[in-house]
Amino acid sequence: MLTAVVTQSGSAYTVHLASVPPDSTAEQTISSEPVALATVTSDSATSETLAFEPQIAESGVVTASEAEHEATVEVNPGPSPIAPELKEVAWGGGSFVVFAVLMRYVLYPRLKKGMDARYASIRASHEGADATRAEAKAEVAGYEAQLAGVKAEAAAHIDAARQTLETERAAKLAAVGAEIAEQRAAASAANDAARQAVQSQIESAVGDVSGRAIELAVGKTPDAAVVSRVVLEVMSVGVAR
Amino acid sequence: MFGLEFPPINEILRWHDLFSSFNKISLIAVAAAVIGSLVFLLAGSKDATVAPTGIRNLAETSVEFIEDSVIMQTMGKEGLAWTPFLLSLFVFIFLCNLTGIVPILQMPATARIAIPLFLSLLVWVIFIGTGLKHQKLSYLTHLLWPPGVPVALKPLVGLIEFFSTIIVRPLSLTVRLFANMLAGHILLVTFALLSEAMFQAETYVPILTIGGILPFFMLVFLTAFEVLVVFLQAYIFTILTAVYIASSTHAEH
Repeated sequence: MLTAVVTQSGSAYTVHLASVPPDSTAEQTISSEPVALATVTSDSATSETLAFEPQIAESGVVTASEAEHEATVEVNPGPSPIAPELKEVAWGGGSFVVFAVLMRYVLYPRLKKGMDARYASIRASHEGADATRAEAKAEVAGYEAQLAGVKAEAAAHIDAARQTLETERAAKLAAVGAEIAEQRAAASAANDAARQAVQSQIESAVGDVSGRAIELAVGKTPDAAVVSRVVLEVMSVGVAR
Repeated sequence: MFGLEFPPINEILRWHDLFSSFNKISLIAVAAAVIGSLVFLLAGSKDATVAPTGIRNLAETSVEFIEDSVIMQTMGKEGLAWTPFLLSLFVFIFLCNLTGIVPILQMPATARIAIPLFLSLLVWVIFIGTGLKHQKLSYLTHLLWPPGVPVALKPLVGLIEFFSTIIVRPLSLTVRLFANMLAGHILLVTFALLSEAMFQAETYVPILTIGGILPFFMLVFLTAFEVLVVFLQAYIFTILTAVYIASSTHAEH
């Protein structure tokens, strides 16, 4: 049970709230330490309202025995919310200073050292990659130059071979042409010879037949030379025609 | 029945102290430093010669993000020496912001002004110190009067530059981070409370019961939006720090 001890100073009342055992009598004088301090005023705009049952005894002891009353109590507002508190400045400032010093001499250098080492490694890798790329480009250029040389050489070889082949082909064509002409001439000669032979046989046969026909018709044997000449003339005319 | 009791601002911004001189914000700040350290410690212990994966990839990505998107854009190559500081600044703010959408914690440490103020003052000291180191005492002259300012305007320009550089810079750094994270946190709390109240309200009006899902959707949307804000605020703080340090390094800035 809470019991309030009230003292009056002018228009304000000072109230000491104290807890007493529930079985205490209403008139018991409070001797324990107050649990809260508040000032009773008549201002209704204050922030906390306590309900208790005051009765001011001659000794100044308030008991909770009679009619209910409401008293408005103004709570201690504490320090100004925009005034810096020394303990906050000390702890906040101290914490920051310690943190900043740690950051300056331990944390940042350690982190930065690792970062710099990794960046250096990355830079070295990049430079290595650039060098490798340049080497590869040089090798590609060399390969392309070699390839061009080989291609030119191959083209030269091909041209030479083609010329050789052309020459050989022309020679062989000429030889074959000559052979063909020779064979054609031989064939023609043979053909002429055969024709002469056949013509001679035909002349002889026609002369014989003509001579026999004349002999049968005239009863006299014609001169073989004349018959032969006539037959020859007739056949010549026929061939010419 | 439809009334919504919104808790006092301190109730949504403060927890009871975990023990004397150590509260939730302190816990989040320490956790941010420890988690950030562990992430980079584990990342550093992974094999660096192979392609990074997992936690090492995360750490290297954040390093490259700071180098490429912050330092190279504002300070150039010579600013790379500032990478550890800017990286720790970004990671620390990001983790402190991120707790605003982490269940159970649900409170960005930067929604309290202490950490943004400390970091802004630290940045302020650093960029003034850098200016003095690089330009000696002439830095102060350049700081007040950029080259080419007519003599007649020097008092006015000097006054403006003094306020803008010496006072407004740390103040704007602080307020930008703090106010954005605080506003986001209050929005999330508002819609969370509204969703709860709407779901539990005994209205006996069906349309109101169904309509109770709308603030919940808004809560989900704002949570997703807060992820962007968490990253963006850490990035803005870091890049402005880089800009300020770069401006102190060279007189022409």
